[in-house]
Amino acid sequence: MKASYNWLKERLALEWSAEELAGRLPSVGIEVAGIEKRGPVFTGVVTAEVLTKVKHPNADRLSLCQVSDGAKTYSVVCGAPNVAAGQKVPFARVGAVLPGGKLSKAKIRGVESEGMICSTKELALEGDASGIMVLDPSTKAGQDFAALLGGSDTILDVEITPNRPDLMSHLGLCREIATCFGVPFKESAETALQEDASLRSLPVEILSAGDCPRYVGRLIDGVRVGESPDWIKDKLAAVGLRPINNVVDVTNLILMDTGQPLHAFDADLLANGRIIVRPARPGERLLALDGKDYALTEGLLVIADYAKPVAIAGVMGGQATSVTASTKRVFLESAAFIPAAVRKSSQSLRLRSDSSARFERGCDVEAAAWASRQAAALIASLSGGSARVSPALDIYPGRKDPFPIRATAARVNAILGTAFPAEEVEKTIRAIAAKTDQEGDVLVVTPPSWRRDLATPWDLAEETARILGYDRIPSSVGTSPLKPTEELRSHSLAHRARARLAALGLHEACTYDFISEKHAALLEVTEDQWVRLANPLTEDWVVLRPSLLPGLLQSLRRNIERQAESVRLFEVGKTYLRDGSAVREHSHLAGVLYGPLSPAHWKASKDKAGLFEAKALLADLLAGVTGLTWTADDPAGTFAGSGLLLPGSRLTVSAGGAPLARLGILHPKLARAWEVDREQPAYFELDLERLAAASAGPRTFRAMSSFPSSWRDLSVVVRSDVPYADIEAAVAGLKLPALDSVGLVDVYAGKGVADGCRSLSLRFVFLLPDRTLKDAEVAAGVEKVLAELKKRFGAELRK
Amino acid sequence: MATSDWLVAFEKTAAAIGAWDPAAAATLDALEAVRLEFLGRSGRLTEALKGLKDLPLEDRKLHGPKAQAARADLEERLARRRAELESRGDRSLEDAGVDATLPAPPQLRGRLHPLTLMAAEMTGILRLMGFSVAEGPLVETDWYNFGALNIPEHHPARDMQDTFYLKDLPRLLRTHTSPVQIRTMEKTKPPLKIICPGRVFRHDQVDATHSAVFHQVEGLAVDRGVTFADLKGTLEVFMKTLLGPSTRIRFRPSYFPFTEPSAEVDVNCLLCGGKGCPVCKQSGWLELLGAGVVNPAVLKAVGLDPEEWSGYAFGIGIERLAIMKYRIPDIRYFYENDLRFLGQFDESVL
Repeated sequence: MKASYNWLKERLALEWSAEELAGRLPSVGIEVAGIEKRGPVFTGVVTAEVLTKVKHPNADRLSLCQVSDGAKTYSVVCGAPNVAAGQKVPFARVGAVLPGGKLSKAKIRGVESEGMICSTKELALEGDASGIMVLDPSTKAGQDFAALLGGSDTILDVEITPNRPDLMSHLGLCREIATCFGVPFKESAETALQEDASLRSLPVEILSAGDCPRYVGRLIDGVRVGESPDWIKDKLAAVGLRPINNVVDVTNLILMDTGQPLHAFDADLLANGRIIVRPARPGERLLALDGKDYALTEGLLVIADYAKPVAIAGVMGGQATSVTASTKRVFLESAAFIPAAVRKSSQSLRLRSDSSARFERGCDVEAAAWASRQAAALIASLSGGSARVSPALDIYPGRKDPFPIRATAARVNAILGTAFPAEEVEKTIRAIAAKTDQEGDVLVVTPPSWRRDLATPWDLAEETARILGYDRIPSSVGTSPLKPTEELRSHSLAHRARARLAALGLHEACTYDFISEKHAALLEVTEDQWVRLANPLTEDWVVLRPSLLPGLLQSLRRNIERQAESVRLFEVGKTYLRDGSAVREHSHLAGVLYGPLSPAHWKASKDKAGLFEAKALLADLLAGVTGLTWTADDPAGTFAGSGLLLPGSRLTVSAGGAPLARLGILHPKLARAWEVDREQPAYFELDLERLAAASAGPRTFRAMSSFPSSWRDLSVVVRSDVPYADIEAAVAGLKLPALDSVGLVDVYAGKGVADGCRSLSLRFVFLLPDRTLKDAEVAAGVEKVLAELKKRFGAELRK
Repeated sequence: MATSDWLVAFEKTAAAIGAWDPAAAATLDALEAVRLEFLGRSGRLTEALKGLKDLPLEDRKLHGPKAQAARADLEERLARRRAELESRGDRSLEDAGVDATLPAPPQLRGRLHPLTLMAAEMTGILRLMGFSVAEGPLVETDWYNFGALNIPEHHPARDMQDTFYLKDLPRLLRTHTSPVQIRTMEKTKPPLKIICPGRVFRHDQVDATHSAVFHQVEGLAVDRGVTFADLKGTLEVFMKTLLGPSTRIRFRPSYFPFTEPSAEVDVNCLLCGGKGCPVCKQSGWLELLGAGVVNPAVLKAVGLDPEEWSGYAFGIGIERLAIMKYRIPDIRYFYENDLRFLGQFDESVL
């Protein structure tokens, strides 16, 4: 809210400058977002009269004027086409400080100018800037022009928290400053109101009493609608409002002053001259003051006349019944609407106003009658005595007495952890209370009508802390014993996995959860599994990601665009799938590998990202998990979309039969869709919840043999379609007691190996824990292996 | 063997030994070859010494010492040359023609995301201060995200947190990590001390200072007799541990529906140390987190009696802290994953 420093000073004996005040407000919870100077920002400009005007001797478009400020006559060059003898003008003498800088003597086309006749632009004022400012002919020359325009002001842009609607007015801010800082508060002068008892308000009927606890109506007859006087226009301009006409301006002025929203209707345009507060009926519409036609949702609270809605209650009035130059009779509404009702309207119509902003948070119901009187008095006085004002029709079905709070100073201190003396606490609370009664130690506090936020001892504790200062609350580290904290397995597992992958050379990415429908469709997740947003920010962000793949590919693409040759990224995050009326969130870890392992380097590997790099990473990540199997199929259902990986290049990793992860080469159609297809990216993803459910072997010591091992390398030729895993399984199936490990040291196909076959060079390591092996034992082992491979796969030793 | 034959062979060997120039053995391997030639198991001098035993005693007495002297001489020269070669081992690299100024290949070390580093640092400190980690879903119900936290429908405080809603489902994306407070208090009876690091969502257009996705660390302590002063002390210890012992913190009154009293907490500006700079808008302070005493309405929502139990809660934006700590000018960098950005953090062991 914009607050005028001058306006605040009408009620406060403030000794602080606007800047000092702005510096103090945050300490009581009022943030100041900005400070802005208003009004004349120049000095040394006086009113003056143009005595004569002749053409400049050396320039066609310039003129030479004699200008008098009443004391002295100056010779001035002027370029404005509208300058003329006899005009009263603002005149900047040499030495004047203007927004553009300090004015000095200048020679213009060979003629000296002893000052400048100013346009609005040169003075940073509003208005026509096509020529110099021409003042009212009655203006006396020689007056300080800044003073004539009215003094300067400072506008504070204050941020009011939602719990304090009472601060959304100058009156409210004044009360707060007075209470919190002890600044003397004085009531502002009220305009006296003469009511005419012979005049009756229009009848008002409240059909929605639950939403409208109070309605104060008043009729003003004989109104003269016209322009507002300057003091009203200035005040409205100071807080950022545009003047409309004197009646509307008064309602806005009272709103900004007291926080009570008002509305003025042209009483002669209300059908049957009556007001009804009721829910909107099906199909009703209203052309509002903002020029837009609103379809009113059934049930929204409206102000209606006999025939139709004339205002959206608490939000905005209608154009058809607004006060215009031809209005003679005004019906003035000063009502109270409950916050939820107004909020429902402003949200469903996406229409907000100064009025709705206050009603939504809660206005002071008690202020309605008083604000009505103020506004009526002012409207009447602006109508030059011709107006008659009816007494108020005050319908108040929702009167509620404020609920007293019972609290003790000890309770306040117990909430805060403070030891404020009881008298100090009580004094503070009394300062904010409308009424306090003492019942022994207990303070029975009745909050003022505008402080509906005060309801519990905790609220009083906050008020006490706020006013006495948060910095007076001591720091304590508590008295409860320090207890061991529990590790959350999902959290620590995710963190260890992250650290492991970073150690393995991948950079951790962090991507948004939103993807486009187009990308969701590419992931082969059926639409009934999509989790869609009702209010997406953009059409690229409509579906919650069913997989981490899109975000990683997006990040990969960005890096490729920035000329990265080699990209290794992973992310740990949630994926989302809809399952009927439920949303399943899964913790996933995924990675994308692209290009060579490292940028081109004389000593580095030139290998490109591929299935085996992904396999190596997962093998390290999953090291120690029991019952791990790697299968070349891709069981559906574990991960979103089965066709994301290139057939034949994909693997599924399971533990104890439950799939944990899958990996492979990204399907080219996806690589193309994300424009990351210059190289073949490899991709892996892992379900962290399934990993958490898997088990690892014991983390205890295993003895190492102290005897030497013997190894033999054998090259066997088998058909190329025999998977290596089958060979390894066949060897393992022999359960040779001395066979410690089998490794694959080379794969060869080509010259010397029959077509359709390949040669696998296997390394067999034999080791016993308790003695040195004999050569014959090793030879016997090798024989058994060869015989088995021959029997199972027709393997032959390579010649 | 006749003495004459032995003598011919020995004289030849002795001459060869005498003619041998140790400097000619450029490497240890070459030197070893010389040793093996003469002193190996079947080396020339070894054979001569072995042959002595077959000579007549007279001849043995006459020639034996000569042969022994030849061995001693060779062994001494071999040892001296060995010592020489070993002492100039470093020069052998140069000899091999290696250009040691060639660049080494990069070690392929990945990096953790700066938000992970920041969250881990915070979580680590808070765990030592007695807080256990808790988690909760990101897709939440209105009740956990708002209702139970004293933000009923049509409450204007909902405007403080613009919300993403799901289509066709009565769910939303959590706007803060506070629903985890409710879920934890429902399951676990106090006393409890938890933190919840996690992702949250706001319906905000993304720009340099706003993100629709960001991260928070939420803290909650509930016990008998917990006060605002405990909150203050806890956050002071936490902040001083996280940002350094000279860190100062300041509490300002504020409003959150789920705490009463509520506070905004500032720390002295990390850039200027509190003297005033453009980052802190000359105030010397940076707004860092929101906190307060748990509102009794929240305790009641989970069935706790606010006359018996009390608590405090706080929530810190991880991005905000990382932005200040690493002086990152634009929040979008966290989500772009440019390798040149990701590689900057966790760089030095210092």
